[in-house]
Amino acid sequence: MSATTYLIIANAAVWLGIAGYLGFLASNASGLKKREQQVELLGGSNDN
Amino acid sequence: MKVKILAALAGIGILVQQYMVWAYAPIAQSGPVQKIFYMHLPCSWWALMSFLTVFVSSILYLFKRDDKYDRVAGAAAEIGVLFATLALVTGSVWARAEWGHWWVWDPKLTTSLIMWYVYAGYLVLRSTPMGRDRKALVCAVLGIVAFLDVPLVFFAAKLWGSAHPDGVARESSGMAVKMWHTVFAGLIAFGFMWGGILVARVKQMAKHAELEAKLIWDEE
Repeated sequence: MSATTYLIIANAAVWLGIAGYLGFLASNASGLKKREQQVELLGGSNDN
Repeated sequence: MKVKILAALAGIGILVQQYMVWAYAPIAQSGPVQKIFYMHLPCSWWALMSFLTVFVSSILYLFKRDDKYDRVAGAAAEIGVLFATLALVTGSVWARAEWGHWWVWDPKLTTSLIMWYVYAGYLVLRSTPMGRDRKALVCAVLGIVAFLDVPLVFFAAKLWGSAHPDGVARESSGMAVKMWHTVFAGLIAFGFMWGGILVARVKQMAKHAELEAKLIWDEE
C-alpha cells in the first residue's frame, strides 16, 4: 500500500469513528423523544 | 444553543483543518504519511483532556454529591474512550506505514493501551445494574484512581525512552511553521467538536435521568 493510502485510511477511520458516535447520540435522542411522548401520554391518562 | 454554536465552530474548524492538512502543510521528509500526525495528535490530546475531565468531575461528585458531575464524568469517559481508540488506530496505521509493524510493546504504546482498557472498564461499570447513588459513588472512585495512568502515558517517552516522540513541543522537533499552524488548527477544531459532543451527551443523560425519575414517581 502506498503512503497516501495509509493517510487516507487513517483519516477515514477518524471520521467514521466520530460519525459512528454521533449516530449513537442521534439514535439515543430519538429514543428519548419517544419516551418523553410516552411519559406525557401516561401522565395525561393518569390525570383522567 | 451552546451545542449548536459549538457544532458550527467545529464544522468550520474541521473544514479549515482538513484544507490545511491536504493543501497547506508541507510534506515532511518522511513522506505524506507524516500527515497522519495532524489527526493522531488532536485525538490523543482530547482523549487525555476527557480523562482529566472525568477525574475532576469525579472529585467534585465526591464532595458535592450532585448528579450533574456524575453525568459529566460519564459523558467525558465515553468521548475519551472514543478519541483514545482513534488515537491508537491512527498511531497503529502510521507505525505500519513508517516502521513496517502495526504495534510494538514500547512504554508509550503500552501505557496508552492500559489507559484504554481502564476507561473501557469504567464504561462497563457504568452500564452494570446497580443503585443510582451507589453506582455514581463507585464510578467516581474509579474515575479518580484511573487517572493515575494518564500522566504515565503523557510522560512515558521521557521517563522510559520510546520510539514514539515524547509529546513535548520544541523548536528542535524539525517541524516547519506551516506544520505547527496545522497542528494548532487541528487541536482547536477538535476542541470545539469535543466541547459540543460533551455538552450534547451531558444534556442527553440529564433528560434520561429526568424521564426515569418521572416514571418512578408515576409507578409509586
